Amino acid sequence: MNQNRDFYAGLVATVFFAVILFVLIPIYVKVPSFIPGFAPPPDMWPRVVSIVGLVMGVLALVLAFPKMREAGRNQVEGFGNRILGNKTHLMRFAGILIVFVAFVYGMPLIGFVPATVLLLGVLFVMTGNFERKFWMIGLAVIFPVLLYLLFTEVTHTPFPKGKLLSANISHLTTLI
Amino acid sequence: MWNELLYAFQEVATLPNFLAMFAGIWGGVIIGAIPGMTGTMAVTLALPFTFYLSPVTSILLLVALYKGSTYGGSISAILIKTPGTASAACTVLDGYPLARAGKGGKALNMALISSCIGDFISNISLFFLAIPLATFALRVGPPEFFMLMAFSLTIVASISGRSLVLGIISACLGLLLATVGEDMYGSFRFALSEDMKSGLGMVPVLIGLFALPELIKMIVFRPEDNAAAMKLGDNRLTLAEFRGSIKSICRGSIIGVILGAIPGIGPSTAAFFSYSEARRTSKNGDKFGEGELEGIAASESANNGACGATMIPLLALGVPGDVITGVMLGAFMIHGLTPGPLLFQNNLGDVYALFIGILFSSVFLFVAGKATAGAFTKISRIPQTLLLPCILILCVYGIYSIGASPFDVTVLLVMGVVGFAMMLLNIPAAPFLIAFILGPMFEDNMRRSLAISRGDLGVFFQSWISWGFFALTVLFVILTIRREWKKWRDNRDATSASA
Repeated sequence: MNQNRDFYAGLVATVFFAVILFVLIPIYVKVPSFIPGFAPPPDMWPRVVSIVGLVMGVLALVLAFPKMREAGRNQVEGFGNRILGNKTHLMRFAGILIVFVAFVYGMPLIGFVPATVLLLGVLFVMTGNFERKFWMIGLAVIFPVLLYLLFTEVTHTPFPKGKLLSANISHLTTLI
Repeated sequence: MWNELLYAFQEVATLPNFLAMFAGIWGGVIIGAIPGMTGTMAVTLALPFTFYLSPVTSILLLVALYKGSTYGGSISAILIKTPGTASAACTVLDGYPLARAGKGGKALNMALISSCIGDFISNISLFFLAIPLATFALRVGPPEFFMLMAFSLTIVASISGRSLVLGIISACLGLLLATVGEDMYGSFRFALSEDMKSGLGMVPVLIGLFALPELIKMIVFRPEDNAAAMKLGDNRLTLAEFRGSIKSICRGSIIGVILGAIPGIGPSTAAFFSYSEARRTSKNGDKFGEGELEGIAASESANNGACGATMIPLLALGVPGDVITGVMLGAFMIHGLTPGPLLFQNNLGDVYALFIGILFSSVFLFVAGKATAGAFTKISRIPQTLLLPCILILCVYGIYSIGASPFDVTVLLVMGVVGFAMMLLNIPAAPFLIAFILGPMFEDNMRRSLAISRGDLGVFFQSWISWGFFALTVLFVILTIRREWKKWRDNRDATSASA
C-alpha cells in the first residue's frame, strides 16, 4: 500500500508544483520595474522552490513504479482503490469540508458564538460516538461561551456579532 | 562589585518582586498553553500594568511572562498536538507520541526540567557573557545568517522519516507557502485575495497542520479506540532517562544562548537547530519523531535557553532581538532607563538586580511547571471524541484573537485539510514546519546579502562564521547522500534476492 501512496504523493506534488511554476508564478508574482541594488527579483525564490518540488515529485513517481510492480505481484490493495472503495470515508470527508465551508461563510452572518456552538455540536455528532450525550450537549453550548467570555475579557477581541443578528436588533430598536 | 551585588540582592528580595515573578510565570504558563495565545501577546497585555510598578519589578514581570509562555507552549504541544507557541512546534514531534503512549506526564516533566536548565544556563550567560556575546552577535550579518539558515534547513533530511524525497516535497511546500504576501521590496506574491497580501500567519498554519488532521482522521475513519481516553502510565522521569538526555540538554542550552543572543533569530530557530543536532549525534537518533524524550529535551532546553539570551543584545547594545524584547525596550523607556552600554555605567545596581531576579525566575518556573503539570496531564483522560472537537474550537478562538481576522481562521481550517491529505499520502509534516519557519529568514538574508554585494556571491564567504556553517552544510549533505545511496543499494539487493 505504501508503494501506491508514494505514487499518489508524487503525482499530487508534480501537478501542484507544475501549476505553481507555469500558471501561478507568471500571473501572481509580479516583478517590479525597479529593484534596488542587485537583489534577485521576487519570483526567483518561488521559481527555485517550485522547480525543486517538481523534480522531487517526478522522482517520487519514478521511484514508486518498481515498488508498485513488486506490490502488484504480491496482490497488495491499492491506496486509491481502498479510498474509492470505501465511500463512507469519502462521504465523511466531504461532510467535514461542507461543515468547514459553512462555518467560514456562515460565521459573519450568524455571529462568532452561535457559529462555534453549531460547529462544535456538528463535530460531536460527526464523531459518531453518542455515549456521552449530555456532556456533548453541555460542552457544545458552554465551552464556546466560556471561551468567548475569556477572550473578550482578557484580550478584548472584537468577535463578529453577526450581520443577521445585528440587523434584527437594530430593527427591533427602531421599532421600540 | 560585591557591595553592589549585595545591594542588588536586597533590592530583588522583596515581596512585590517575588509576587510579580510568581504571577508572571503562572500567567505565562497558562497563556502559552492556550493555542494561539503567544508570549508576545502576554507581554504586550501586561505592559500597561508596569506603569504602576518599579523598573526592576516591571521588567521581572515581563521576563517571567516570556519564560512562562515559552514553557507553556510545550504543554499543549505534548498533550494535544497543538504547539501553543511556534517555539514549541518541535516539541510536538516527540511529545505527542509519548502522550499517546501514556507517557504524557513523563514528557511534561522532561520538558519542564530541560526548560529550567536551559533557562538557568541562559541566565548565567546573561550574567557573565552579556558583553562578549553581544559583540559576537554584532558580527553576524545577512551572509552569516544565510549560511546559518542553510545549515538549519539541512535538518529536513534527518526528519523526513521513511522517504527523503517526500520530506523534500514537504519542505518545498512549506517554503512556497512562506513566500505568500509582501516581499522585502514591496512586491506581492501569490496574493490571490486581498487578505493574502499580508501573508499567511505562522500560528494558524502550524496549528492547522498539526492539530486538525487528528480530528479529521478521527471523524473520517472512526477508529475503535476513539472513545477511550489516552492511557496514563508512569509519569515520573527516571534518573537514567534524565542522564540519557543530559548531553542534549546542555547542548540545547548552549545553542539557545548563542542563537538567542543574535538579534532576529529567536527561540524557534534555536529549538529546531538543537533538535537537529541532537538527532544527528544521539545514539537514539532513529527514534526521534516517534516519542523520544531526548528530542523534547533538545528543543525545550534550546527555546528556553534563548529566552534569557534575547535580553543580551537588548541590555548590552540596546538592540531588541525580537518582538518581545522590543516590548521590553518600551518598558525600560517608560521608566526612564535606556538599554545599552550606558545602562551598565549609570544604572549598574538595577542591572544586577535584574540579573539576580532573572536567576530566581528559573526556580519559579520549576515550581509553577511542577504544580501545573499534574493538572494539565488530566487532559489526557478526556475521551478523544470530546477532546478533539473542543481543541478545534479553542484553536478557532485563539487564532481569531491574534488579529481579529476571519482569514486566519480560514487558513487554520484549510491547513487542517492539507495536513490530513499529507497524512494520507505519507508526506511528513515536520519538514514543512521547519521550512515554513526558516524559509523567510533564509530568503530575506540571501536577497539582502546579494543586494549589499551587488550580486557578488563572494559575500557569502567573507567571514569565518560563514565558512564554518558552509563547511557543516556541505558535510551534512554529503553524509545524507551517502546514507540514501546505501539505503537504495540495500533495497535493490533485497528486492533482487527475493525475486
